[in-house]
Amino acid sequence: MIRYMKLYYLFCKQNLKVMMEYRMDFLLGVLSVMLQQFAGIFFVKIVFDHIHELNGWTFYEILFIYGIAATGRSIHHIFFDNLWTLGWQYIRPGKFDRLLIRPINPLFHFIADRLQQDGFGQLFIGIIVISTAMPHLDISWGVLEFAILVVMIIASGFIFVAINLFFATLSFWMVDSLPIVWTIFNLSDFARYPLTIYHKGIRYLLTWIIPYGFTAFYPAAYFIEGSGFEKLALLTPIIAVISCIAAYWFWNRGLRAFTSTGS
Amino acid sequence: MIIVNDLEKHYRIAKRDPGLRGAIKSLFHRKYETKKAVKGINMHINAGEMVGYIGANGAGKSTTIKMLTGILTPTSGEVKVNGIVPYENRKQNASHIGAIFGQRTQLFWDIPVRESYELLKHIYEIPQKQYEETLAEFVDVLHLGPLLGIPVRQLSLGQKMRCELAAAFLHRPKVVYLDEPTIGLDVAVKVRIRAFIKQMNARYGTTVLLTTHDMQDIEEICQRIIIIDDGNVIYDGSIQDIKSQFGEKRVIHFELEDSITECVLPEELKKVAKILPRTDEDHHNVSISFSNKDISGAEVIHSMMNQYSVADLTIADAKIETIVEEIYGRGMKGRVHHEEIH
Amino acid sequence: MRKYIEFARVQMQVHAAYSAWFWANTFSVLLRMLVIYFFWKAVYSSRTEIEGLHFDGMITYIIIAMFLQMFVSGVGRELAHTIKDGNVAIELMRPYHLITRLIAMDIGDKVVYFIRGALPLGLLAFVFMDITLPETWQGGVLFLFSAILGIWIGTFFDLLIAILAFWTINLWGLEVMKEAVISFFSGALVPLILFPEWFQTASLFLPFQAMVYVPVAIYTGILTGTEAWLAVGSQVVWAVLLFILLRVLWSFAMKKVTIFGG
Repeated sequence: MIRYMKLYYLFCKQNLKVMMEYRMDFLLGVLSVMLQQFAGIFFVKIVFDHIHELNGWTFYEILFIYGIAATGRSIHHIFFDNLWTLGWQYIRPGKFDRLLIRPINPLFHFIADRLQQDGFGQLFIGIIVISTAMPHLDISWGVLEFAILVVMIIASGFIFVAINLFFATLSFWMVDSLPIVWTIFNLSDFARYPLTIYHKGIRYLLTWIIPYGFTAFYPAAYFIEGSGFEKLALLTPIIAVISCIAAYWFWNRGLRAFTSTGS
Repeated sequence: MIIVNDLEKHYRIAKRDPGLRGAIKSLFHRKYETKKAVKGINMHINAGEMVGYIGANGAGKSTTIKMLTGILTPTSGEVKVNGIVPYENRKQNASHIGAIFGQRTQLFWDIPVRESYELLKHIYEIPQKQYEETLAEFVDVLHLGPLLGIPVRQLSLGQKMRCELAAAFLHRPKVVYLDEPTIGLDVAVKVRIRAFIKQMNARYGTTVLLTTHDMQDIEEICQRIIIIDDGNVIYDGSIQDIKSQFGEKRVIHFELEDSITECVLPEELKKVAKILPRTDEDHHNVSISFSNKDISGAEVIHSMMNQYSVADLTIADAKIETIVEEIYGRGMKGRVHHEEIH
Repeated sequence: MRKYIEFARVQMQVHAAYSAWFWANTFSVLLRMLVIYFFWKAVYSSRTEIEGLHFDGMITYIIIAMFLQMFVSGVGRELAHTIKDGNVAIELMRPYHLITRLIAMDIGDKVVYFIRGALPLGLLAFVFMDITLPETWQGGVLFLFSAILGIWIGTFFDLLIAILAFWTINLWGLEVMKEAVISFFSGALVPLILFPEWFQTASLFLPFQAMVYVPVAIYTGILTGTEAWLAVGSQVVWAVLLFILLRVLWSFAMKKVTIFGG
């Protein structure tokens, strides 16, 4: 474990050096993601200029949900972005073999191979949005609340990771599952708004099948009084752990299939 | 060091009818076709041996190497490398092996070569002192000095391959698999790379399994070759042996003064030599193949010069290349034939 | 001309070959339509109109705008990649104009996408989501004309941004940035009349509202009569301006290639 942490640190150091080499691109990446997130927030703002509440949710509550989604996703975007490339950059050109002849865990190696600068833009925006919304929520922020918030955000990030890992793993059987990964990822768009506005079926899907609901809405609802989801919200870290275990199990199965077909 | 017994690898290939209907049909009911890439290979390679592993494209070379490195699980048979079953203990096996896969880089694309080595040092847990010694030695032999500060993506092919080679040997592996290490390189680089491989073998007793299409590589590096065709080993033995079995073969190329459409051999050569098919449209050239056992080169030249006016001639060596081509060409039949000779 | 038609035709076949991406895209569009539908349903749960728009009008605007936005970006990505991997120098030696070729390919792409993607999905939306038709047939015709201008402007803007690949290698960032700016200013997310006054004024001087807002506003009757004709007039101006700008920037970039070797 300590060895892997040290290795990760070394990989990161190298990745950061490369990033600094392309400073212009670093800035462009961060800026563009910030702009993208900002467009989404601005949209909500415009709508709330004309209404007072959305299905019982205030502007700052929506903002808070939005902020948790953005921050959680930034964890995935910064550290686990390589998951997008499994099929077309590793398996198809045969680069994945390289990971298999190294004396370290191939998933670790694969993840550590890249650090995605652009995700920092998302992180900044997420933190800004959360801290803007926080004072407007009916809750007094103590150390405990803060700690819970951090845990929730990390859990949210790992749910994003687990879902992407699960569907990226399909690449072991079908060479490139990117279209599927991308489609599933788009489901997370639902998570930016309170799940209560959707049809029951969608709500069920995003809670128990593909748990994007736990990346933003449920964790946020924990801090919103009278939302009625406080109990469900506490499941967030458990859901995160379960999804990660499931995804990792699936990854190992994929790896086994890959080593027996070698396609 | 490497023990392979009755190794087989079959692939199942899904057969699909074309079009959308085929795609939908294949969702419910799939038909498979079995392709046997490796059909029962045996080989035993001792520690410190350098073995050439040759075969045409699709003969099963890379499938075998993938199974030896642990990337691929065999369908049946036994593989042991250094006492470890590679596909069962992939990570453990990985720390004792090094590999180069053709032109795919093992190094990290965007970072300078030296930093790549640093990372490898940690990945393979090489002790600092050993790392420094090894790197100093490699820099010296492979002339890596000026390359260390440059990112891999900016290196030329030859420079990259030298760096790759150092990376493959950096952790002093017991076995190294080299898949086409000299492909596309110029002669000077090839010479340096061959010297390096030989030196590693001499100093650390590294076992080397080399696949290549460059027969010069094989002749200079390996004592032993294993030839594989259509998933079977068709030859396993020393280079000397194969040379003495087939080595009496000689070819002489004649360049004639006159253009001759249909060249006829002189009477006295008809029984012992034959004209090779022309490879080009030039009617001035004739190549004659014969065996040293039956007739000497001097006699062939003498007879030819009596019949034709010869402008120039070259005597081709008994190259392993020509021999291997003969064996490839005949495949299984070749083996039968070679038994007949004895 | 013949060869460019050929490029468009080939591109149509290429498009048809990537069926996995086609289905992924179709599914994603469906998802987005669902999000949009439920979101606006919730917005209108406590009121009947916003800035004079009822739910029908609003959902019509948003869905049409979403489809139109898919057509305003084009082959910029192709161009950017050609520039990035250095193939642009080779392309320049070929017997065609690279930009024209790309536009021909783009047309092929868009025609196929219209038939396979937008049309069926649009019909679906029309049946299930209370989408309305333009009030007058004149409005419909003007919408078509204005939409083509909008796509033209979007395509040229896309190519303009792609030329920036001569100076940066983070193409992903460039693309995300462009998408963000367009959805921000073009009125693809929400009708510009909902925006604050100052923002509406500012966007009058930018080409973005000409891409999506103007055609869709004509469709939904937000812009009518003289206002509509004036807006189309400004589209024409932008279309010409961007065309000229692209030529100028391209020749600059070409100097960079031929003098500095890329």
